[in-house]
Amino acid sequence: MSTVNATTEEIMVYAAAREISDGDTVFVGTGLPMLAAYLARASHAPSVSLLFESGIVDPNPTHLALGVGDFRLMHGATSVRGLYYVLSLLQKGSIDVGFLGAAEVDAHGNINSTIIDGDYRHPGKRLPGSGGANDIASSARSTVIMCVNRPDRLVPRVQYVTSPGFLGGGGERERAGLRPGGARMIITDLAVFRFDPRTRRAFVSSIHPGVEPETVVERTGFEIAVPLGVARTPAPNDQTLALLRAMDPDGVYLRRPRGA
Amino acid sequence: MSKVATLEELAGVVRSGMSVSFGGFAHSLTPMAFVRELVRRQVRDLTLVGIAEAWAADTLAGAGALRRLVLSNFMFEGFGLCRNFSRAIESGTVEFEDYSHFALASRFAAAAQGLPFATVRSLLGSDLLGSDDGAQRIRHREFESPFGGERVVLLPPVSPDVVVIHGHRGDRHGNVQIWGATSVIEEQARAGATVVATVEQLVASADIRATPERTVVPGMLVARIAEVPYGAHPTGMYRLYDADYAYIREYVEASRDPARFATYLAEVTRGDHRAYLARLGVRRLLGLRSDPHFGYHLHLTDHVCRP
Repeated sequence: MSTVNATTEEIMVYAAAREISDGDTVFVGTGLPMLAAYLARASHAPSVSLLFESGIVDPNPTHLALGVGDFRLMHGATSVRGLYYVLSLLQKGSIDVGFLGAAEVDAHGNINSTIIDGDYRHPGKRLPGSGGANDIASSARSTVIMCVNRPDRLVPRVQYVTSPGFLGGGGERERAGLRPGGARMIITDLAVFRFDPRTRRAFVSSIHPGVEPETVVERTGFEIAVPLGVARTPAPNDQTLALLRAMDPDGVYLRRPRGA
Repeated sequence: MSKVATLEELAGVVRSGMSVSFGGFAHSLTPMAFVRELVRRQVRDLTLVGIAEAWAADTLAGAGALRRLVLSNFMFEGFGLCRNFSRAIESGTVEFEDYSHFALASRFAAAAQGLPFATVRSLLGSDLLGSDDGAQRIRHREFESPFGGERVVLLPPVSPDVVVIHGHRGDRHGNVQIWGATSVIEEQARAGATVVATVEQLVASADIRATPERTVVPGMLVARIAEVPYGAHPTGMYRLYDADYAYIREYVEASRDPARFATYLAEVTRGDHRAYLARLGVRRLLGLRSDPHFGYHLHLTDHVCRP
């Protein structure tokens, strides 16, 4: 295996960027998805359109925004509207790829961002709530979920379905009245999971460079097998890496590799 | 007739037990001087219908002013949880119901159009609608379209007693102009039974009529208006001043503990808005001013936070 200079986060961003096709309309949030969208636009998808729930349409920022409400994100936008306007476009079906984070995600791509422990009425810990996540999960043509690979984050069944993936699997999503779509993949700090087209259950599609297969199994809370000879998630080449690091010169979202 | 009032007169419109909603998105556009005035007046038992006004929600939760929350998401972007909000739910001191952003914004939009219900494709299949035992978590009806059978969710409109917004400038007729993204203000302002506005600056009506494309809320919708410079602080106003990230950090630290937050809140609400600004000082306030080209401060966020 060749030496990889990229950090885990950079591999995650690169994996996410490759899911964006030229001409796509993408619904983006804060952090790694923001960088993935910028990277896609700067490389293979120059005519991608970016939408943010704060109402910002296709910005071209000079400075990296700390969030979707940050004024830095308005710079170079083609239009600034309101939340209802951009989420209406989402519901209309105009979004090809929506990005989602998750406190918990399960084997069928359902997401919890509402509670941890206890029940809905009496939570051990109350999280921020759906925001636009349920809307993205319901109406985007596909979603890319990014989260940490820990047994308590990748769980057999989420405690509370804030945002629907494939619900119980099979055709359950469609039977609930939701439009086709749902989770395309989960990108973690260890691996890329995709979903079986029939059962709609997650399987390991690739593991990141340097990660042991056993680690993925141990760190995943739902039952999972890593097939022999599983693919390695591609790492960005030096040119792409330079492009990406220039987008976050202060290391707001990307920690710098040791010695760099 | 002039609609101009003082901040104190404006805040008097909100009385204990009412339902309210505020403008704002993340660390921007929030009528925080108004919120602090509500804290001073010890208004209680409010129902907050909130989409993106995390600052209003967390401050009022920390002040013990809320009885009920109708919400879609409250977090401090880049700083994590709204701890007063989370604690109010965890301790069972507020009632609450959850929506998605679009579902709740659609309830405003239905009220804004005088419709008996909102229609959304969101929420289907999720636990926001109901729990496993079949109990409804929010009032809704799943409905098959008579024009093709597609399933949608119907939700009741929502019309808060008072909607409070903060704008860049306005006039004595209540016209409000805003630069930049407008959050949910267009829908909220049309949905509210009463709308009141604070603005950074009151200008001549001729200035409003010379730039009607900037008017987000026309005066006919607004009952009272007050000039409140830096009325959004610590949140920012695009092209005027940026969010005060150092202040935000202090607030977030103080909110980790209820007793510490009570002391902190008593301190920041001591005296009126003028006293609040005097404590911050001219140097600090001018230091937040936006770069005229970019519309934000170029260096404020350096090393301030790392999500």
